Amino acid sequence: MNLFGYICKRIVQTIPLLVIVSLISFFIIRLSPVDPIAELRLNPSISQETLQKEIKRLNLDKPITIQYMSWAKSFVRGDLGFTTEGEKVSVKLKERILNTLLLTSVVIFMTWIVGIPLGIMSAYKKESSFDRILTILASIGMAVPSFFLAILMLIFAVKTGWFPVGGLTSYNFDDMSFFAKVFDISKHLVLPVIVLFTISLSGLQRQMRANMLEVLDSDYIKYARAKGLSEFKVVLKHALRNAVNPMITLMGFEFAGLLSGAALTEYVFQYPGLGRLILEAVMRSDINLVMASLMMGTIMLVVGNLLADILLMITDPRLRGKS
Amino acid sequence: MYWASKQEITANSVNYPAENKNVVLNGIDYLQSQAPIGKFGGELVISTIGEGPKTFNPCNTKDSTSATMAEMMYDGLLSTDARTGMVVPQLAKSFEINGNEYLITLRKGIRWSDGKPITADDVIYTYKDIVFKGLGNTATRDAMMIKGELPQLEKIDEYTVKFSTPAPFAPFLRQLSYPIVPKHYFEPYSKKGESVFNSFLTPNTSPAEIVSSGAFCLKKYVAAQRVVFERNPNYYKINLDNKQLPYLDKVVYLIVGDTNNEILKFEAKETDMISLRGSNVARYKLKEPKSDYKIYNLGADTGTLFLVINLSNRKNQEGKWNVSPTKQSWFRNKNFRTAIDWAIDRNSMINNVAQGVAKPLFTAESLNSIYLNKNIKGHSVDLSKAKLCLNEGGFSLKNGNLYDSSGNRVEFDLYTNAGALERESVGVMIKEDLEKLGMKVNFKPIEFNTLVNKLSNTNDWDMAIMGLTGSPLEPHDGKNVWLSTGPLHLFNQRGQNSLNNGVFDWENELDEIFEDGALKLTYEERKLVYDRYQEIIYEQKPIIYLYSPIRIVALRQKFKNIYPTPLSGLVYNLDEIYIDRESE
Repeated sequence: MNLFGYICKRIVQTIPLLVIVSLISFFIIRLSPVDPIAELRLNPSISQETLQKEIKRLNLDKPITIQYMSWAKSFVRGDLGFTTEGEKVSVKLKERILNTLLLTSVVIFMTWIVGIPLGIMSAYKKESSFDRILTILASIGMAVPSFFLAILMLIFAVKTGWFPVGGLTSYNFDDMSFFAKVFDISKHLVLPVIVLFTISLSGLQRQMRANMLEVLDSDYIKYARAKGLSEFKVVLKHALRNAVNPMITLMGFEFAGLLSGAALTEYVFQYPGLGRLILEAVMRSDINLVMASLMMGTIMLVVGNLLADILLMITDPRLRGKS
Repeated sequence: MYWASKQEITANSVNYPAENKNVVLNGIDYLQSQAPIGKFGGELVISTIGEGPKTFNPCNTKDSTSATMAEMMYDGLLSTDARTGMVVPQLAKSFEINGNEYLITLRKGIRWSDGKPITADDVIYTYKDIVFKGLGNTATRDAMMIKGELPQLEKIDEYTVKFSTPAPFAPFLRQLSYPIVPKHYFEPYSKKGESVFNSFLTPNTSPAEIVSSGAFCLKKYVAAQRVVFERNPNYYKINLDNKQLPYLDKVVYLIVGDTNNEILKFEAKETDMISLRGSNVARYKLKEPKSDYKIYNLGADTGTLFLVINLSNRKNQEGKWNVSPTKQSWFRNKNFRTAIDWAIDRNSMINNVAQGVAKPLFTAESLNSIYLNKNIKGHSVDLSKAKLCLNEGGFSLKNGNLYDSSGNRVEFDLYTNAGALERESVGVMIKEDLEKLGMKVNFKPIEFNTLVNKLSNTNDWDMAIMGLTGSPLEPHDGKNVWLSTGPLHLFNQRGQNSLNNGVFDWENELDEIFEDGALKLTYEERKLVYDRYQEIIYEQKPIIYLYSPIRIVALRQKFKNIYPTPLSGLVYNLDEIYIDRESE
């Protein structure tokens, strides 16, 4: 019951946050000088009448506050509206969400499976040559911009012909057998996953190493060792439990990144994900689409943090006592 | 490097097959292709830059990708001959023109992809219930409107319809290329009004449901990845062997985000065709002998790049001058504009900015237009002539700076849209060229939308570098630019309340030409009139044309029946193209 009350409180706290985020983003987009129908204006065969019709259809003739109110009203009702091209925003998002989830969840899963053990090991073998090599690799991974690595990978794909150049499926995908389909998708996923994995692994590994080092230095670990516990038990049972708490907070953020974390890489690889959709929408000021994605991002962030906090309450007895 | 002049990539000489013929076979009026007989099967993979199609509704396309794809599925009554640009029958078997009456005979026995016959009812429905009612994209309706009146349309019998226009109106005939849509499939949606119709046939419509008449039907659309078309078994065109076309089983459009990705996909052999620009042309040409592709030079395209000068002498609503009176006296001085034209070095622009893949342009019609005035030869850069013009116009040079007759230093702003690399480079070169005449040019690339707003709304600008795409077939499409009351009359834009204010004599003549040209019916008569309009623009130079890019396209050699034309490009005849496996 206590936990339930806590969740309710957090959800209520979210509402003003959503309102503020939506207000700021709506006004910034609408006040920027991007005109959604600029292309039409410069088309010699478009008549004045058609232009007026477009302006009316997109609500551009109304003051910005009214535009916001009508957007907010339908958003609350669960209606995300239409894109400037007249397609349903919800349909557009649905087309892409699964693709992005596929990419990001593979990356996050791999990063955590590899990153946590690597972090623990390099903290445990601090300043050994193993740790030093990892440090150098991690620094490189953090320093290389994702789009640059992505371009290198694309050149690699063109030169060797081993991997397809971007996309998610081959053009004859629909005629393939089930196993060929799985293989086709995996082949397309390899390069983008390598890029995102390299970059997020470095950060995660360093984070885990730092947490672990701090814990390994503490008195209770010295005490555990003095008690004569095996190294295995000291590290995995006593140290890890305490070092993992900050990582849970981090996991909350990763959750938010599930839908929006890979825009640049998606763009370079022409991956049919949400990031590319939103990037293109921002460029032509497709307000309903951009707003929908921003709100989705905000909600994901809030939910991610909430999940992390709940997990922390379970793992950390100190927090349990407080609430 | 100067491909255009040295003709290193020659316009590929091919023997074009004769024009399509009408053939009656089992009581069905087929259209017979005269191209050599090919082999059936295979697929062509093309890329399209951008976000892919926004709709498959041929009546509601507002961007070129959607239009291209809708065109594959829906044919019009008439079409354009790929080489001569003349009007030829397509879904119609023949057409007859008597003054303002157009009698159209349809093909008997041809069918939609779902097997239902294509009849006069579909034609009547398409025009009366969609075009005339203003559903979807209204460009055709606007173009058919003559003095505020729409044409009449009547059904003579099951396979004959008659259009009558309120007055003889030449551009009307070409408007009959508007795609005919199946009444039985479209009517339930068009009845429900505009908003339903606008969201009808979005890319997510189930492909099995879409009924089409063209060479291909939709097979699959995958958002942000590809659009797959398959052959329409009921297509009304046959080959010399009397077998139904098209040859290809599939045409696939890969949706790619930018040109870089497009090139990578071609090099990885994922696509079969690519348009080349700038430095890539030389690189591909070098690799061509050892490759599996062939490079085609399609000549100059419809794109034009120009410098436009603001001749406005009006005040805006707040009573401020659009252009200050001092600048007005320069810009409205013909000698000043002529001097600028003489000072601009088009050839060095072409060599340095377009990497040689362009041709200098001096006419308002694009170089592949069938109405191009070939007597306008243009000229090379000549600074002494430019200086002479400035002298005649009362300007004088002091210490290398140019002053007008009242002693004002000549200084103005030159705009273009920021981010368009080509236009920015051209701007820098124009600035340098004009500074040789002693003018001070403040070159300001600004955000695209801001520029459009300046040009079409606020009118507070001096000069701008812009581009527009025209129609190579119908000069009348440019009326919004050239009519003095036009909404896109860039160089002397008038507000709605000052339409007749401060019109130049030559603007009046242009108005007459554009009214007159639409009423003359034969090509020869119209050509004379439109030749004159190009002369006027060349003499008066409110817009100074710079150059037109040349289209260079690489295509895999295995594709046969390729007959490139400057007017229609390379793969306009998708229904005739086939794959020769042996040359793979």
